[in-house]
Amino acid sequence: MTDAPISAGRDTPKEHNTPLGLGARILGLVAGLILTGIGVVMGFLNDASVQIIILAAIATLTLWLWAWQYILGQFRGIATDHENDHGPGPIRQLWSTYRWPLIGLAAILALFAILSFTVPGFFSVWNVISLIILLVILVLTRVLSRQFQQNRSAFIGIMVLVGLFSIGAMNIDGFASGTNIRSMLLFAAFLGLASVGQTLVSLLGGLDLSIPFVIGGANVGLLYLISLGVPPWLAMCIVLAIGAALGVINGLLSFKLQGQALIVTLGTGFAIAGGVQIITSIGTAFSGNVFGTVPGWLSNLSSMNGTTFGLGFPPAIAIWVAVAIILIVGMRVTVYGRHLYALGVNRTSASRVMVSEIRYWVSAYALSGFFAALTGALLLGWSGGGFIGVGDQYLFLTLAAVVVGGTSLLGGQGGYGFTVIGVLVLQVLSSFLVGLGLNFQWQQFIFGLLILPMVALYARSPHIRTQV
Amino acid sequence: MRAAGNPVIEGVATDMAASQAAGEEKLAARAGRSNPFLLMPITLFFALLMLASLRSPSLMTSFGIGSAIIVVAPLMLATFALMASVIAGRVTVDLSIGPLIGFINVTLIQLHGLGIIGSPITVFLYAIAAGALYQFIFALIVIYVRVQPIIVSLSGFLALSGINLVILPRPGGLAPEFMQEWGFGITIFSPILFIVLAAIALWLLFTATAFYTHLRLMGSDERAAYTSGVPIVPVRIGAHLISGAFAGLAAICFTALISSGDPSQGTTYTLIAVTALVLGGASLAGGRAGIFGSALGALNLYLITFVLSTFNFGAVQSFVTDLAYGSILVISLLLTLLVPFIQRRIPNFSPLLYFVVFSVVSVGVILHSGFNYRGLPEVGAQIATEQVATEQLSEETAPAAISPPGPLALPAALNGPLEVGAVDAETQALRDLAGPLVLSAILLIVIAVFLRITIAEAGQRRNIGMGVGVVAAGLVLLIAWFMTQANAGSVHANPPALTTIHGAAAEDAPHEVSLQEATR
Repeated sequence: MTDAPISAGRDTPKEHNTPLGLGARILGLVAGLILTGIGVVMGFLNDASVQIIILAAIATLTLWLWAWQYILGQFRGIATDHENDHGPGPIRQLWSTYRWPLIGLAAILALFAILSFTVPGFFSVWNVISLIILLVILVLTRVLSRQFQQNRSAFIGIMVLVGLFSIGAMNIDGFASGTNIRSMLLFAAFLGLASVGQTLVSLLGGLDLSIPFVIGGANVGLLYLISLGVPPWLAMCIVLAIGAALGVINGLLSFKLQGQALIVTLGTGFAIAGGVQIITSIGTAFSGNVFGTVPGWLSNLSSMNGTTFGLGFPPAIAIWVAVAIILIVGMRVTVYGRHLYALGVNRTSASRVMVSEIRYWVSAYALSGFFAALTGALLLGWSGGGFIGVGDQYLFLTLAAVVVGGTSLLGGQGGYGFTVIGVLVLQVLSSFLVGLGLNFQWQQFIFGLLILPMVALYARSPHIRTQV
Repeated sequence: MRAAGNPVIEGVATDMAASQAAGEEKLAARAGRSNPFLLMPITLFFALLMLASLRSPSLMTSFGIGSAIIVVAPLMLATFALMASVIAGRVTVDLSIGPLIGFINVTLIQLHGLGIIGSPITVFLYAIAAGALYQFIFALIVIYVRVQPIIVSLSGFLALSGINLVILPRPGGLAPEFMQEWGFGITIFSPILFIVLAAIALWLLFTATAFYTHLRLMGSDERAAYTSGVPIVPVRIGAHLISGAFAGLAAICFTALISSGDPSQGTTYTLIAVTALVLGGASLAGGRAGIFGSALGALNLYLITFVLSTFNFGAVQSFVTDLAYGSILVISLLLTLLVPFIQRRIPNFSPLLYFVVFSVVSVGVILHSGFNYRGLPEVGAQIATEQVATEQLSEETAPAAISPPGPLALPAALNGPLEVGAVDAETQALRDLAGPLVLSAILLIVIAVFLRITIAEAGQRRNIGMGVGVVAAGLVLLIAWFMTQANAGSVHANPPALTTIHGAAAEDAPHEVSLQEATR
């Protein structure tokens, strides 16, 4: 349990490196043991299985000791900083430095106490452990995120992900089972592929609201083409090409109207949804409904029990992973990626170094259309029937994934890696809420309430007086 | 002459000329504070209006306009709510406006169901307070947490649309008694119209304040506003409070429209309100948005759906609506790119004048569309005989449409539509009452146009002689009118009840008849 790598990034490593005194160590050990003891006793009282109790006990003790060492070290550092000047006492210093986090922690504890007293059966070992994990994660996030000035959003996202997953795994039966993880990854793959375009476009400071309509259009159009007798692979290629073409149109139309990109893409989205439905309902009696059989390979591509080269997960996940890796690496090393970032940060200077603004703008939208069409095609394999409204939920979810991940909507900051984290956080959160037995409306409510603080942790813009 | 010889004086004169030119420029800028971005919504509005009245004359009846007002009022007020916050800048497009309307709607219905609120005063107070409170929190988050407003609104969208379904899982409930007949939309002068007019009037009053100037300054450049001492925190909060009040009014109109509670219907207002706002020539970046543009944008959206509903596309009706909706949106946005060019060609573009010219043209088209051409010979014959009363006219026009027209008396046929042969007492009284109204309306329009020109001229020439002339002419006309009124006052002793005057009151009787025919 060495804290050398952790303290290496601190502002004044010498001060903080001083080891704790013996008394403090013993005190921490005793407190940790008492805490673990409480956990173990309550675990037995709640008839939990022995393995889980042991696991939880070890985890609690380790985390506690580490936090004790680390956090106390921090406080000591502050205390020694101010030992010499006769300022306010250490407690007051502590209070003024950590006022808001402490108030927040106290509020969480108070909420937990109130819930324990009012809701019968709430005060169980799992909830106590969940609380401890939550607190630990909050403290760690707060303490550690200083070392991640660059990628703070990714760090916080990962912490939230780990916390949610561990709490979910303990509280909900079958949360950490293979099936559930597979289904979470599958839905994350859909959302992730749909958010590719939104991420790229956001990097340039635009928005693409036509994604859900392209998804719906591709979903219906692919089935329509297949039902016409076009070979499925050719139909898929046609749909993807049309998706990219629609993206190009989007980009060209919105290039001159960048401030209003939100509305332009919404308008083209409406037009696309209407147009696709008109085309598919010509000559049929069923307006808007397309019937046909989805080929086996397509449904294998994205159904829950699909296999990838004999491995037990649907290929959609593999596609997503491949796309994510290509994008994350590609955005870092290729000229295209670098130029995209350059344009997002500063248009003027980027165009001064001969980066064609319109080419990148249009190509970002083209990629957006392509990946939206791909998502639509994969969703057809998943559901087995064409439905124009299949993408409706992605209208705001793609935006939420991008924002939660930490890509700035103003452009230039972020990347697809962040969006992947955002997608996973949203997916695990929604799975967690489903596991708790909450229905759709409560899920959405909690989603809404959680997005704001998560974004507020890292995407706060500076005060106006610092920009003058 | 001396000035021409003296370089110093000449220099002073040129200086004065220069300063005067600068002053002129400033004044011209003030006089032309018109918004050229209104060009597109006005054009679209009248194009759609003419098309709509040609396709379906039933729009221009009391019933048609009444139901249009009922349907369009929530959308218009929602657009106003967006407008108030969009002006504040930082791309404050409040995506949560739809769920907020839904939230106020469902809580209103539930609270009314519990018997807590029921009287009009409490309902209005509650709706406006709820909207304002939400927007107040919104503003505090934007100001102090400093997260991008669009993220806050996204968060609010998800949270509110979730909680709406919790509060009222499925559509149902009853609106308070007093607003149940508001949603019928039978007459033009429903309370809904007055709510909308009051909202517009209050906003126009608000635009006269310094607060509004601050708001626009902050919206177009927040840094400049901050450095020049604009108190940006109260201004932003104020903009959001106004937006919340508009949202509350929108929720009341929405509740009146559906006469019940609906948790998910309100959510759809988000996208169409943003669309209406942009169609009305507002800039989502902030600083540029206006109440007339927003109102026209909302009306345009209604007219688009109305016009499309008059075509019969069979099963693909709703898809065509989507397609046309999206295309018109994109095309009208692309056309706004032309505005700078137009502005360069016509530096003193006056939306008001443009509006008036277009409205005259469209009134002609509306008259034409509602006009009963088939009844012409019939009317001519009636004039010739001077026998048939107008009451019977309405019954006789129907067979006349089927039977071949008789010999046409040309002068009578031409005059017929304008002068209905035998005017009965009621129509005469109606006409007496409506005549002065129409006259004064025309007078007001003329005076407005002249004043507009005068102000523009005054900016360049620094004289208000023309204005004085206009006011004097107006006074003379007014006095003349009063004198004729004093003479004519004894003619009709008992004017009919005011309720009979609505919509087409200014038109003549055959028009009215043909409108009734059309509505059948």
